[in-house]
Amino acid sequence: MTVQIVKKAAVSRRRQTAYRVFAVLAALAATGLVMALAGYNPFVVYYKMIEGSTMTAYRFQETIHKAIPLITLSLGVAVAFKMKFWNIGGEGQFYLGAFGAALVAFQAPELPMWAMLPAMMLAGMLLGGLWALIPALLKAKFGASETLVTLMLNYIAIKWVTYLQYGPWKDPKASGFPKMPKFADAAVLPKVFGVHAGWIITLAAVVLVWILFSRSKLGYEIAVLGESEATARYAGMNTVRTMLIAVLLSGGLCGLAGMMQASAVERSLSDVLSGGMGFTAIITAWLARLNPPAIVGVCFFFAILLQGGSYLQTSMQIPSSVAAVIQGVVLFFVLASEFFIQYRIQISRGEKKEVA
Amino acid sequence: MEDKAYIRLEGITKTFGTVKANSNVSLSVKKGEIHALLGENGSGKSTLVNIMAGLYAPEAGTITIGGRERHFSSPGDAIAAGVGMVHQHFKLVEVMTAKENIILGRKEGLAVRGRELTEQIYQIGKKYGLIVNPDKKVYDMSVGEKQTVEILKMLYRGADILILDEPTAVLTPQETATLFGILRNMRAEGCAIIIITHKLNEVMEISDRVTVLRRGESVATLDTAATSPRELTELMVGRPMSLEIHRASYEGKRETLLRVKDLTAADRDGVHRLNHVSFHLHRGEILGVAGIAGSGQKELCEIIAGLDKATGGTVEYNGEMILGLSPREIIKKGVSMSFIPEDRLGMGLVAGMSIVDNVLLKSYRNNPGPFVDRKAGARLADKIIREFDISTPGKWHTVKDLSGGNIQKVLLGREIELHPQLLITAYPVRGLDIGASYNIYDTLNAQKEQGVAILFIGEDLDVLLALCDRIMVIHAGAVMDIVDAKTASKEEIGMLMLGHRPGEEAAV
Amino acid sequence: MKKMLAMLMAAMMVLALAACGGTGSSSSSQAASGSEAASGSEAASGSETASAGIPKEDLKIGFLYVGPVGDEGYSYAHDQGRKAMVEALGLDESQTLVVENVPETSDCEKTVRDLIDQGCNVIYATSFGHGEWVDIVAKDHPEVYFGHATGILTEDNLSTYMGRAYEARYLSGIVAGMNTKSGKIGYVAGVSIPEVVRGIDAFTLGVRSVNPEATVEVLWTNQWYAPADEKNAAQQLINKGCDLIAQHCDTTGPQIAAQEAGVLAIGYNASTLSAAPEAYLTAPLFHWDAYYTRDVQSIIDGTRPKGERFWGGLTTGMVSLDDLSDNCVEGTAEAVEEAKAKIESGELFVFTGPLKDNEGNEVVADGVKMTDDEMESMMWLVEGVIGNVAA
Repeated sequence: MTVQIVKKAAVSRRRQTAYRVFAVLAALAATGLVMALAGYNPFVVYYKMIEGSTMTAYRFQETIHKAIPLITLSLGVAVAFKMKFWNIGGEGQFYLGAFGAALVAFQAPELPMWAMLPAMMLAGMLLGGLWALIPALLKAKFGASETLVTLMLNYIAIKWVTYLQYGPWKDPKASGFPKMPKFADAAVLPKVFGVHAGWIITLAAVVLVWILFSRSKLGYEIAVLGESEATARYAGMNTVRTMLIAVLLSGGLCGLAGMMQASAVERSLSDVLSGGMGFTAIITAWLARLNPPAIVGVCFFFAILLQGGSYLQTSMQIPSSVAAVIQGVVLFFVLASEFFIQYRIQISRGEKKEVA
Repeated sequence: MEDKAYIRLEGITKTFGTVKANSNVSLSVKKGEIHALLGENGSGKSTLVNIMAGLYAPEAGTITIGGRERHFSSPGDAIAAGVGMVHQHFKLVEVMTAKENIILGRKEGLAVRGRELTEQIYQIGKKYGLIVNPDKKVYDMSVGEKQTVEILKMLYRGADILILDEPTAVLTPQETATLFGILRNMRAEGCAIIIITHKLNEVMEISDRVTVLRRGESVATLDTAATSPRELTELMVGRPMSLEIHRASYEGKRETLLRVKDLTAADRDGVHRLNHVSFHLHRGEILGVAGIAGSGQKELCEIIAGLDKATGGTVEYNGEMILGLSPREIIKKGVSMSFIPEDRLGMGLVAGMSIVDNVLLKSYRNNPGPFVDRKAGARLADKIIREFDISTPGKWHTVKDLSGGNIQKVLLGREIELHPQLLITAYPVRGLDIGASYNIYDTLNAQKEQGVAILFIGEDLDVLLALCDRIMVIHAGAVMDIVDAKTASKEEIGMLMLGHRPGEEAAV
Repeated sequence: MKKMLAMLMAAMMVLALAACGGTGSSSSSQAASGSEAASGSEAASGSETASAGIPKEDLKIGFLYVGPVGDEGYSYAHDQGRKAMVEALGLDESQTLVVENVPETSDCEKTVRDLIDQGCNVIYATSFGHGEWVDIVAKDHPEVYFGHATGILTEDNLSTYMGRAYEARYLSGIVAGMNTKSGKIGYVAGVSIPEVVRGIDAFTLGVRSVNPEATVEVLWTNQWYAPADEKNAAQQLINKGCDLIAQHCDTTGPQIAAQEAGVLAIGYNASTLSAAPEAYLTAPLFHWDAYYTRDVQSIIDGTRPKGERFWGGLTTGMVSLDDLSDNCVEGTAEAVEEAKAKIESGELFVFTGPLKDNEGNEVVADGVKMTDDEMESMMWLVEGVIGNVAA
């Protein structure tokens, strides 16, 4: 018996979706099995996750809180990915964005809210964007791999914030505890319908990126550039300029996510602000096929896993790492489904022996 | 006679989604026969040979080899049954030698007895007239040599049924002659050979029998000696058609539009890609460019279009220097360039985008504001689909899902709709079937009649001779000569392509 | 069939993956209470006297730990305290909810709100950095009682509690001073806050009360729970010639490092002789149940003081020194007992002048005792400590 991997002919879009949905369901089944082995009733666990992430206003709001930064980060990552600029640096751009916001909040604490929040947003987007511009320039100038550079810049960004937290920006009132002071109230995004106003910004960003991709000349250029740089040049596009603008936008969106998280949730800056969301966003953007409305859906699903997972910890006293496991397994299955969309495994036995 | 068939396919049916690629196809090939497989693009030739090579499994039908029915579930099964396939795009590892490529994938392991193998390769080569240095790296090889290695690889693996997918598409006339010699030797040694080609003169020259496919069905199998190109074309296309390429004439003022002088380009290693190339081109003229692949065609196209840099010389367009301008400025001045690379997509089209988006590629900036005017694009796409008779489920269909001919029509249609004054087109009929190719020749003629200057980089010398006004022959980046197409001969051009000027020793 | 097999293979890999991450996790396996329960509505909200109290059966108490309870250290000690309190007051296990690994970020705020969402009417947050987050929620939920270990912020419904660990630290210093041979002692410290600095100082004073020439060298990990870093820090200290390792961080890593290197160790928070049987001498211990039992009882009774700042020493049972192991030299027990008796009687106060910092400046004058406020913000190291307060 031999096992072979065979390339498939094109698979229809509807079928592809079916494969992916099936993969998610299979992942849930597999994790269910693990939970059953660990002594939990998986149906109860899943029900609790839904209950814990949607069924009361508070829990739903918390789910939205988790989805907001993830969506914005995914949008940012998607803009770069559309161009096949592999921006793995969403995490670092997020921190730079949060740093920019904190810079405004700490340096000009007396600003009124109407000036403070836009200034923080601007600073956050600008710093996030500029941070992303570094690898873009290195790529344009020296052909440096953006994957490596963006990845490494993440660590520099995080360490920079750590340095501030333990050094110059340490809260003098925290009796030595390494944390930064809280922002003034004017620097905290207000709540609208029980959720911080970031959701409005995020939805606006979704619409804007969607328009960018589907309607605008810039988005068109980004897409062409992503398919082939030679074609973009052939069409007379200024490829370097397009790349720099797109990367600036990508980093800017990631920075915006950092600004919102710092302002609305943490009300300060900290070196664990992102909780790794900058990396999760790579996954969500990819699963959503870089499509902005789909990003909302996928991120919401991930937010349910996260919020449902933390609910499990408090309600069923199951460690919240269960949610992380589910996420990992979902990812694993979806990636596997991508494989099965393109290939199939063929097992043949018997008769061919006589041929050989 | 059919009794002697060595490989026989009967009732082969294969569908992809809703498309019937093969429907009840039958084919039988004898030992010691060269059998041509002829058909337009999308007629199911590739599917059929891929089934023979074990890449696809048919839904219905049988494959019988040497009197026994076979079921292939992998290329390995097919090879084990003696079926060897030489693909259009060679499957060789560039950094390895011929020898290493030949043994690659063999089960005997990698620790090969070098001398023994060299001897084996030499013996096989001698038998069929396949000459190749076993220790030469693939990247140092010419296209013809690579093809030889592919064929050797198959023979070494014990193939006695050899399938060649458009083997002459990338060869010079001389290399083609060599290949045909090899095929004849193999026929004499009792191999069954299946050759896919578009070129009717090659079918007539090399094959013993020919099977014509049309829309996934096998419509006829004929003895080559008893048929004619005209009959074959008719069977292929399904209707009678003329095989004459006519040379349009331009009635307007004869005015020089493009003047290239001493154009020189060197790559990073200082190797000259273009060496003092000089020529001029009139309005209403088609200037053909003939040359072996990689003689500087690509560089010439790209430098004129502003995509590549020259190291010396001038390019004057309409009396104005355009060397050094950006691609966009050159497009704006009315220069169109379309280069169909070997994979047909590459530059010029965006494979993953719709026809509409591809049609917009050079004109999307023409409207003011930050948004792409897709309504205008859709109108243009409709027009191109109609005028160029592109078969597609719709204008929003992704380009890469179209057949090769339709992809090229989209590209050419867009370029012509830009109403250029200078149309540079490289290999516009590459891989196209007869019907589609003639449409494109007609289109070029129509442009010429309107006074467009056309630089036509082609592969098929017959076509160049029939279509162009003059033919510039290049070799290793240098212009060998510019000949009058009405009086030049194919042999003369062939020699020039190889770098021999008339009067010089014609030693190869 | 083919696809089935493929799926099966994938599923097996997933199982293997999940087994690493998923199981063997929650050590406190109380069942979920299911009902959303009384959301503390009976508690007096914002009134002058917290008189009404909460009936015992309506109590639902949430605990936030900064590490896993399996750290055998700080969080473990709190969980021991929780269990003892449940036992002592006759509560049901399901009346306490535990959340482990709560970071000192906005996640903490969210966790507290989640617990309230689950119906908790009493919340104990156990790490210093939880404080400001608990404070934010405490203002939003006057009907819920909050306690914050080691903290400084208080509200009407938010008390702080801690033990005078420095008393036990001083005693452990005596043990160290008597058992070091090289006179070089290493100290693996977590995060640089007054609580930790004070511990180092008390320990060093204890060391020097019996071994005046000995030094205590400090290395900071800047984390509370970092098994690898803590062990690594201990190894560095040992490499520098320290033959006894003390610690103020949450894992047994330093003790294991000591055992591996054949030197001695003093633990923290819990009796961990089994983790490093040849190195372990003793450890300053917390008995958080002393506070939990007392505080929950006061909530039941409706007598909980507003904004209390509870700071209990050896006499209250909040802190103690673990039984000395057989690894101690003779005479250690006697020296410890003597000092302990003096502290309990008030005869000995650890931070009594003259005290010099490790740069030679006199900080506390002869005969002067430091006040609680001074000790709460103590960010200087006494003479004999090698290192500084900033990481």
